[in-house]
Amino acid sequence: MNHKHHKEKIEDAEITSWKKKLFGSWILTIPIAIIMLSERIFNFPLIEMPYSIITILVIGFPVIFIFGWDTIKGGMRGLFTFYFNMDSLISLGTVVAYLTGIFYFTGFVQDYSGVAAMIMAFFTTGKYVEAKARGRASQEIKKLLELGAKKARILRANKEIEIPIEEVKIGDILIIKPGEKIPTDGIVVKGESSVDESMVTGESLPVEKLKGSNVIGATINQDGILYIKATKVGKDTFLAHIIELVENAQSSKVPIQRLADKITSVFVPIILILAITTFIGWFFFSGDLSKAIGVGVAVLVIACPCALGLATPTALMVGSGMGAKRGILIRKGEAIQTMKEVKIIIFDKTGTITKGKPEVTDIKSLIPEKELLTLSASLEKLSEHPIAKSIVNKANIKNYKKVTGFKVLRGRGVEGKIGKDAIIIGNQTLMNERKINLSKIIDSIEKFEEEGKTTMVVAKNNKILGVMAVADSIKEDSKEAIRRLNKNKYRTVMITGDNERTAKAIAKQVGIKEVIANVLPEDKAKMVEKLQKNCMVAFIGDGINDAPALKQSNVGIAIGTGTDIAIEAGDIVLARGSLIGVVQAINLSKATFRKIKQNLFWAFAYNVIAIPLAVGGVLHPVVAEIAMALSSITVVTNANLLRRKKL
Amino acid sequence: MLLKFKGEKNMKKLKLTIEGMHCASCASNIERSVKKIRGVKEVSVSLMLKKGTVEAEDSVSEDEIKKAVSKVGYKVSKIE
Repeated sequence: MNHKHHKEKIEDAEITSWKKKLFGSWILTIPIAIIMLSERIFNFPLIEMPYSIITILVIGFPVIFIFGWDTIKGGMRGLFTFYFNMDSLISLGTVVAYLTGIFYFTGFVQDYSGVAAMIMAFFTTGKYVEAKARGRASQEIKKLLELGAKKARILRANKEIEIPIEEVKIGDILIIKPGEKIPTDGIVVKGESSVDESMVTGESLPVEKLKGSNVIGATINQDGILYIKATKVGKDTFLAHIIELVENAQSSKVPIQRLADKITSVFVPIILILAITTFIGWFFFSGDLSKAIGVGVAVLVIACPCALGLATPTALMVGSGMGAKRGILIRKGEAIQTMKEVKIIIFDKTGTITKGKPEVTDIKSLIPEKELLTLSASLEKLSEHPIAKSIVNKANIKNYKKVTGFKVLRGRGVEGKIGKDAIIIGNQTLMNERKINLSKIIDSIEKFEEEGKTTMVVAKNNKILGVMAVADSIKEDSKEAIRRLNKNKYRTVMITGDNERTAKAIAKQVGIKEVIANVLPEDKAKMVEKLQKNCMVAFIGDGINDAPALKQSNVGIAIGTGTDIAIEAGDIVLARGSLIGVVQAINLSKATFRKIKQNLFWAFAYNVIAIPLAVGGVLHPVVAEIAMALSSITVVTNANLLRRKKL
Repeated sequence: MLLKFKGEKNMKKLKLTIEGMHCASCASNIERSVKKIRGVKEVSVSLMLKKGTVEAEDSVSEDEIKKAVSKVGYKVSKIE
């Protein structure tokens, strides 16, 4: 936790420090400006020459060498070590201009010392505004960093005591009163309440919690007292993972930025050479040393790598912050660029379109139903599959039969022996493989499947016993999400291990036109590859079973399931299960990328237009400096405007 | 958990918190300077977060990285 506060301080410190420099430099620069204007514009000198120059040199000194010292120091170091930065340009520009005030007395040059102070004053102003705007760009992320609880109330020797969050250990029992923040991830051991999880998952409705429910650290307990057992602490918590995702995304690069980065890295040396060439050129052709110096200084201070360098990161920062607020975590910057090329969106069925909590709804049995369920549950008890669990739940028995030689037949079913009887439970593919005659129940199978239910056939010693229908209800907003995607001309496809009929029934309910059924889990990635032949493909899946398909696709969107977050899979991770998140993630990616393009355009356009003007001697150095400050402020402000986009 | 990369033995990933950056060329200067250390594979510095990530062989010491950053005028306030 500590480092988060630390980071916070650094950022504030930067703004405060620019603010001090800003005030300091302007208090001194305003008198300088008055002296200069009275003399050169109004022709009514307040102080006679050459005393006015001496006054300006004296007042200007602290502006440049005290308030501007960090800039001068950094810039000069850059000049001598060949690690040039923005400061190198400003410090060279101001120092040269300041020195003209001293050399004025040798009679060679006109005095620019007042200009030097003004450049520095405008530079600090620009930096201050920019630092503030950058701070605003990261406001959502900062909120996320501050979200974690600081304290926890713990039960020790039957007494409630408050301890710092760092001291909470796994297994501790924590007490959370109404209105309090849940300190860390845990499982409810006592109490009932509703919890506001919007800050981490983006889910706006409160979530009911009772004994056995998982809770997420940093969410707010609303109305009841909860006793939870801490299951994850520190860096392993859900919130810590979200923060890590967001931070990693920020340091990942968006491909479009590469050119800007390349230019930024050679920008300053090129401008230095250009400024010197300009100076020599002007001096050579006009013979006017003063004009040559003025133009050279203008070139130095107008050029700004910042607008170019900030274009992408600020927009990405605002975009990922907006996402994080809604439970959309962009893991890789590249995804937002790829997203605009995506034409096909493939959805996994179970757990993505549906809730992933199947229930047995119908049974057609050729033997007493109880017997069928006992046999089935005894076998399925040994499997982890959600459908297996639904059968066990339906049977609801205490005494399971002993099973030997149990085997999971991936994507098809299970088999095992009870006594001497060989039992198999599975889909039609499995039954066909074993050449089991289904004619007695085929009508029921077809009927169930047309209702969008998955059928599990049970057979004993290769003789059919019955069939169970399992339905997995569709998430409330799947239909709406897919309607919006269809409306935006995406080709939506559903992929599933289910048989064709069941799959088509589900697809029809949510409005998906294309279905790829009977796909084994390991073949999903291959199917994605097939569809990738002609265009870019996004895959939406749960990140655990679908990891290879998520990786194979151009943009993988992993859907979160409760407190588990599939960090490794997916370019974008949704903390919340809702498919509306997919629509929002797509809109956000596109909007962010558009913003990046706009910013890069402005940054390039600015430099392409402004630098030649400065070289041409059209711009006064102070005007050049103001233009420079405005260019980077524009880019950062424009990035902040992304927030206006409705998702 | 994210520290080790599969298949690439003896690689580590370090996270730096850097003070003093205020412009885009600062970030690229730090990247350039740190990349010069032998054994450093990948450097990425974010001006917005004031953070950097370095992927390097185990032989690269934290001090070396700190020095490379301070050489160009910035300060590493934290390595993890």
